[in-house]
Amino acid sequence: MSADSNVAGGGAGSTKENHLINFMKDNATLIALVVLVIGLSFADDAFFTARNLSNLSRQVTIIGIIAVGMTMVILIAGIDLSVGSVVGLAAVVVTMLMQYGVPTFLAVPLTLVIVGGGIGMWNGFWIAKFNIPAFIITLGMLTIARGLALTLTNGSSVPVTSKVFPVIGGGYIPPMISSVLLIACAALAVYSIFRGVQQSRAHGVEVNKPELMVSGGVMIAGFALAFHVFTSYKGIPVPVAIFAVVAFAGIYTLNSTRFGRRLYALGGNEDAARLSGINTVRTKMIVYTVISVLAALAGIILASRLNGASPNLGTMFELDAIAAVVIGGTSLAGGSGKVSGTIIGALLIGVLNNGMSLLGVVTFYQLIIKGLIIILAVWFDVMQKK
Amino acid sequence: MSNVVLEMKGIIKDFPGVRALNNVNFEARSGELLALMGENGAGKSTLMKVLSGVWPFPTYEGEIILRGKKVQFANTKEAEDAGIGIIYQELNLIPGLTVAENIFLDRQFTGPRGKINWNQTFSETQKILTDLGMNDIRPTDLVQNITVGKQQMVEIAKALSQKAEILVLDEPTSALTDKEVKDLFRIIRKLKADGVCMCYISHKMEEIEQIADRIAVLRDGETIGGVTPIAEISLDQIIARMVGRDIKDMFPKADFEPGEITLEVNNLTVVNPDIPNSFKVKNASFVARKGEILGISGLMGAGRTELVEGIFGAYPQHTTGEVKLNGEVLNIKSPKDAIESGIALLTEDRKALGLFLDKSIAFNTTISSLETISSKVLGIINNQQERKIVKEYVDQLGVKTPSIDTVIGTLSGGNQQKVILGKWLNSRPDVFILDEPTRGIDIGAKVEIYKLLNELVQEGVTVIMISSELPEVLGMCDRILVMCEGEIVSNFARDDAKKEAIMASATGNA
Repeated sequence: MSADSNVAGGGAGSTKENHLINFMKDNATLIALVVLVIGLSFADDAFFTARNLSNLSRQVTIIGIIAVGMTMVILIAGIDLSVGSVVGLAAVVVTMLMQYGVPTFLAVPLTLVIVGGGIGMWNGFWIAKFNIPAFIITLGMLTIARGLALTLTNGSSVPVTSKVFPVIGGGYIPPMISSVLLIACAALAVYSIFRGVQQSRAHGVEVNKPELMVSGGVMIAGFALAFHVFTSYKGIPVPVAIFAVVAFAGIYTLNSTRFGRRLYALGGNEDAARLSGINTVRTKMIVYTVISVLAALAGIILASRLNGASPNLGTMFELDAIAAVVIGGTSLAGGSGKVSGTIIGALLIGVLNNGMSLLGVVTFYQLIIKGLIIILAVWFDVMQKK
Repeated sequence: MSNVVLEMKGIIKDFPGVRALNNVNFEARSGELLALMGENGAGKSTLMKVLSGVWPFPTYEGEIILRGKKVQFANTKEAEDAGIGIIYQELNLIPGLTVAENIFLDRQFTGPRGKINWNQTFSETQKILTDLGMNDIRPTDLVQNITVGKQQMVEIAKALSQKAEILVLDEPTSALTDKEVKDLFRIIRKLKADGVCMCYISHKMEEIEQIADRIAVLRDGETIGGVTPIAEISLDQIIARMVGRDIKDMFPKADFEPGEITLEVNNLTVVNPDIPNSFKVKNASFVARKGEILGISGLMGAGRTELVEGIFGAYPQHTTGEVKLNGEVLNIKSPKDAIESGIALLTEDRKALGLFLDKSIAFNTTISSLETISSKVLGIINNQQERKIVKEYVDQLGVKTPSIDTVIGTLSGGNQQKVILGKWLNSRPDVFILDEPTRGIDIGAKVEIYKLLNELVQEGVTVIMISSELPEVLGMCDRILVMCEGEIVSNFARDDAKKEAIMASATGNA
């Protein structure tokens, strides 16, 4: 994830006193997450156990996968409010397909294409081609998709009969393979950091040491924690592995591909992007399709984990996904943001949910606290930019 | 004379990397029009923003003295309350409201329970308009339905209704017709007689001669030569102060024999989507040759920008006509098509249409030619290659920057423009269209851009340059097209082109 040093060009502090303040500002969400984790570990013995953390990571994946797509959408100054309903519809469709005898390995990709691809292209078509505000189009889809899910099921739940399907959301990669995978990924990450530094030096680019140390430190700590948790409790949950792949693909796309550059350009200045030869209509359509496919994927994982689908699955997920993106530092005005920030944002929300449940905070209060934290995060972001 | 109302002393204003104002000194008296002259980028607009409180007190150095008292504005409201009215180039009226509502915006006459007294609002507005001799504007007109010239009058009326004693006008005639200019000058003369102090920002010599009493010249953020009565200074002296060097080496035009025709435009028409049956560009046909600089001159709003944007595919749904490149008819449906065909367009509005302000120099340089630095299949960007290409352009064009990762918004206008030039050079165009390429940049950078145009022509590129500055067109172009009200009205060869003739065609008096 070292490659996620921002495209936009970061602010480098000039003096030593500034360094610390800038460091705190740049990594405020990360610091908040660490503080929260330490605090919860002291507050409740059950929090920092391999079992709880493994479950927590699995819970984060659903919002996390959607939030990766939401980062791209918000990056181009858009929004997608329909993702929660797409989760519900995808969950219903995949389970119903299997009920009608379609084998799992066909039902899953079919759902991704029909529900994810179909809805995404529909949203993208209206937004990109006719310049209708994304807010309106996806708000409409929020109720359309939910209505479809309810119509298809007649309002009742659909059970899962397949034996393979529950693995997607509830399975584990055996601990032995998990540890090999984790070590391989860690080695690859360390290698890519070193190579990045070498290349920067070779081109006479000053290496931002504090940033490097933070990203390196976070990575090592993250891998160590993951190694501890996943090897002592059953192994890597399958959805966590899926999320890791999605997140990596998101980071890589935004940082290192043409498509990623175009998203930053589109969000930063749409007119200039168009006059620079970017096909803005196609780019937007792709982004809205990607997020719907990711939302459908999240719906499939959720149905698998719950061993069944109810048409009301995913209600309000759009809010958690948007919150993760915004807490992660992506600007709602578009043009700047990172997937790594979103992942931290999603983790923060996940830890908060998990911690509050452990501490026995009443659900009603949980909603209030979550809302306040979103407002605080955005306020902090706005203050910082002043 | 002791009737000095405004004095600015030793004003210094720094932006990251540039000093926009460096020791500005002048004083203005009641009942006079002080012309503030200077080239684009000389610091006129920044000075105005300091005066109007847009840049509040501690962000600049120096003193503003109003009627003998030192003032330090914390915001624009305080400046307004102190009697300073500013008419910006971009008007600040609300189009969907009436003239009266705009003039009394937020200060409407209200009854005891906050209910607006419309009768009084309209009658007071009528009184103000009549006082100023603006008899053809009605208080109930919607601002969007009156001409730009009248809108400007409304702005003036608004400022005066707020008891402005100092009126700053920023290039007020740039969008006006001749008749509107005459009306404006009539009102300015009346205001002078009423004792209003006016600061008039412009670089049009003819206007200054007509209405200015005294003149101060700004160059590179400095007032050059103090304040001089207009009777005591010649045009040449004003230009010398503005430019600070012999005008002859401003335009290093190199002579080449133009080659065969590259770009051919036939009957290009751009409709005006806002008004049915009206055109922004009407039946424009012209050719451009390999190795020539073709100038397009004309007044603001003559359709020059729309013509080249039409060629570039900026609004395909409103454009008809034929564009041929090297004999082949192009089917341009978007800027992307145009770029792929070998046409580049450097836009007039750099901030809104050209730059990604909060992105790096590298990002801005490669955004229109990402294909050249990325893999074909997945579009994976090769960072080393990108850095290499960007560095070459930064060196070649002499962009002054600490690094290619520097955010472009922190550079000066001239350096930003050089980066954009690099961006388009990197797309290797056959036809390079530049819309006002030297607007808002300092003279040094201008000359560098002219030299670059020469080099491009030498390499066989067809260069088309739109410019509102006649000396620039006359100095740099091999051939000059003049546009008026959407049509190409004349075509001058370099040797036949005279300032007066171009102006006459541009104003429809040819």
